[in-house]
Amino acid sequence: MVDNRPVLQLRTRWFPTRVSGERSMLMEIEFVVNGRHQDKPSMSEIVWATGNIKQALADLPPIVPPRVRRELERLLQPWPPGRYTGAYRRTGGILNLFTPPWGEPQDEVWNKMIAEWRATTFPDDQAKRAALIELEQRWNNTPHPFFAGLTPAQVMVGGGAQEAKLADEFLTQLGKIFGKRAFASEGDMLMQTLMLLRGWQVEPQPNGQTPMQIILAERTELLNRRAHLLAESK
Amino acid sequence: MSKRKSREHSTRAEARSGYPYWIRQADEIIAKHVVSEANPNGAEIRPDNWQQLALDWFTPREPERSALARYIAAHQTKLGVAWARELLRLEVFFQVKDDQAIVEHYARAFRAYPRCALIELWVAGHILRQSGDVWRVRQMYLNAAAELPTFAKPFYELGFLSYLLGDFPGALEQFDQAAALVAADDVELGARIFYNRGLVRFALNADQQAALADVEEALRRKPDYAQAKEALRAFKSRARWVPW
Repeated sequence: MVDNRPVLQLRTRWFPTRVSGERSMLMEIEFVVNGRHQDKPSMSEIVWATGNIKQALADLPPIVPPRVRRELERLLQPWPPGRYTGAYRRTGGILNLFTPPWGEPQDEVWNKMIAEWRATTFPDDQAKRAALIELEQRWNNTPHPFFAGLTPAQVMVGGGAQEAKLADEFLTQLGKIFGKRAFASEGDMLMQTLMLLRGWQVEPQPNGQTPMQIILAERTELLNRRAHLLAESK
Repeated sequence: MSKRKSREHSTRAEARSGYPYWIRQADEIIAKHVVSEANPNGAEIRPDNWQQLALDWFTPREPERSALARYIAAHQTKLGVAWARELLRLEVFFQVKDDQAIVEHYARAFRAYPRCALIELWVAGHILRQSGDVWRVRQMYLNAAAELPTFAKPFYELGFLSYLLGDFPGALEQFDQAAALVAADDVELGARIFYNRGLVRFALNADQQAALADVEEALRRKPDYAQAKEALRAFKSRARWVPW
């Protein structure tokens, strides 16, 4: 008889900063919401198709801590019609895991866009509002330099199974390389880690694709799946 | 990516007795070694020599010297002997390559004075190395790039930060600017700019030809550049040479 109940696993990981260690747990949760098991739809897919978060979480075992449950609920909330400011509070996956937290005050891209919009003269309020909506959509769907080239929409959707596997491989390798090394400071650890990450993300895998290409393609596919299911549910 | 050299490639000193100890040590060194035409015996910093000492110690070379002179002229009434002493102490910490002392001294001593893009340009790398505060450091380099637009270094540093953030197109743009501005005789910075630009070009679109040309340019400028030599070897022996 095969026992396929969930099992607890204990792993130790090496992280350059406390923040990145904490965010790695969030990243795992982001992977979980997009994870499919035995051809069952993912939690995200259930929500996109039905709009029902409770239904998506119905199969969660009772052992799941309330904090994780709350985080899942937060991730499964409908996206806003305007700018995806929630992207600032998501991890952006392995490519963004070590980037120190940032938000609108640091967002040079949005601040420049909005400054130009404010400086523009519009014929009326309606045209001004329409321009703002267009601007927000452009921000949502344009690769952002501070999200390591992902669009805010790609950040919002989270990573999938392939990225989860790549992230696991990278973090395992990171621990092997840096786990026993002495560093001068936290900043030094962070810089060395980021340099390693940026080298890794462009190194082709056995299939010829780089981790960056695989991650971008998978997140784009998830966005397409979301758009399809949302359209079908209307 | 090339690691920082000179002022920014420093090691963390032991804390010993902390900030007051560092300051005492710095003052002893200043008392022994401050020697210039205006101050041949290495005596105290005075109202009649503080500007000269600051310029001689902190910026013996152009274009930094002119930039600091402009800053002093613009804020003369707010600066003076006390400011010069703090600057000389900072220079001592640079000389002994003590990140911790540099960052702490900058935070404690310079917040009372008008912001100086040149000082920020030199301190920012140490802050990054010490605390990893990417966003604060980026702002410091943006300020420096805006206020010292003919300097290559702020653009190089912004390129390096963009690379760390995974923004390869942004990094290439900044390295291009730095490459256009760097002086032919600035061997160290020039070599690093070209080496890192090559790395980014390869990371961005696997442009082997362009990457190779940049690494070779880095080696032409600095023939003993170990990382560039290694990159060139790796590049010729296998398809990729990114550090993974």
